[in-house]
Amino acid sequence: MNEALEGTPDKPPLTREALRDVNEIALWAGAMMMANGAETDRVEETVHRIGTGLGANWLDILVSPNAVVVTSSSGDEFRTRLRRVPVLSVNMRILDQVNTLSRQITTDKMERSAARGELLRISQLPHYNPYLVAAMVGLACAAFARLFGGSIADMAIAFVGAGVAQFVRQLLIRQHFNIFLIGVVTSLVASSIALAPVRLGLTTSHIAFLSSVLLLIPGVHLVNAAEDLLKGHLVTGFVRGMLGGLLTGCIALGMLIAMWLLQLPVI
Amino acid sequence: MVPSPTFGFFLEDIFWAGLATLGFAVLFNVPRRLLPACVLCGAAGHVVRQLLVVMFGASLEVATFAGAIVVGLLGEVFARRWHAPAIIFQVAAAIPLVPGAFAYRGMLALIRLPGAETESVSPFAEAGIFFIRTGLILAAIGGGIAIPNLLRQRRKPTRDSIH
Repeated sequence: MNEALEGTPDKPPLTREALRDVNEIALWAGAMMMANGAETDRVEETVHRIGTGLGANWLDILVSPNAVVVTSSSGDEFRTRLRRVPVLSVNMRILDQVNTLSRQITTDKMERSAARGELLRISQLPHYNPYLVAAMVGLACAAFARLFGGSIADMAIAFVGAGVAQFVRQLLIRQHFNIFLIGVVTSLVASSIALAPVRLGLTTSHIAFLSSVLLLIPGVHLVNAAEDLLKGHLVTGFVRGMLGGLLTGCIALGMLIAMWLLQLPVI
Repeated sequence: MVPSPTFGFFLEDIFWAGLATLGFAVLFNVPRRLLPACVLCGAAGHVVRQLLVVMFGASLEVATFAGAIVVGLLGEVFARRWHAPAIIFQVAAAIPLVPGAFAYRGMLALIRLPGAETESVSPFAEAGIFFIRTGLILAAIGGGIAIPNLLRQRRKPTRDSIH
């Protein structure tokens, strides 16, 4: 693994066509990592491993918040390509599989066509069943209600609010709406459901209200922001932090709209 | 809201923090074989924080930082054991540490701001306190998780080693 990372000068030089393939495969893998929640260091490491594993001597990688650029070198030849990463979403299964692929390429000398086929397979991997995800997210928010000291009733309300909101979010994501709009609408749905029992006078507790919107916490962006900043990737770090902040603001906006719609006084 | 520090309290805390982590791990599409490790990571981080707060009276900021370091370390250990990126274990495990209640109280204070002159305690001060504490705790989570990763020894090649 370390040999591949360090790039051995005695590798046979690749032809221009072969180097183009290597560059494209490594870039595809890197863009896929970036689009699904990997931090910048991880993207760079994966691209470098795959490129050198497939025969290039060296790869230079530029990770920007919405694009990845890779230059592969071999002998006297080099190839460069840019790939856009339009949406930053989260899919840990893809990170896991691309990581496994990069290990296989460095240890087992995989063919370029096999690597390409594997990337295609990974890009089409399914998510968990949407109903299961909605139920699990509901349970997670119910658990939060408990951690905040809520009663069984609070937990039940948070479960329903978060579960329905997650289902609505999945519908909206499929329609490719703006991510901030999706954030506000999802938060509005969750908090309207959670505030309904308060409006009807059934409870005075606001624990369900504050727990049911927690499904929207941009955890991956915030953790990646810290990791990128501490490792010196300031541009991607700032952008991820900003994105996390804006998405958090969307949660608050949705909650405020719900309070206003249900005409509940500020507590 | 602070219960008596009994064994049962911490057991219950482990259970609910683990469940919250599991829900978010499924949301982030973590592969099934890695789910138990995620849950362990999240439950450990949260119970360490609760232990420090309840037993030793630590501030939430300091306790969260310790909890996040536990999450970061366990993530690195699990990453080696299961040959998967550490972030898979760390992100879902970080979620239970997020200070949702503080952010909420900050927001409530902020929307009381227009009527501030009629109140005794300034909502401005209240919003400031809660937002600053929220920010500090978020920074503690991010920093705590990233630090174990920074300590990992990595031989980084430089271009000069080739040409």
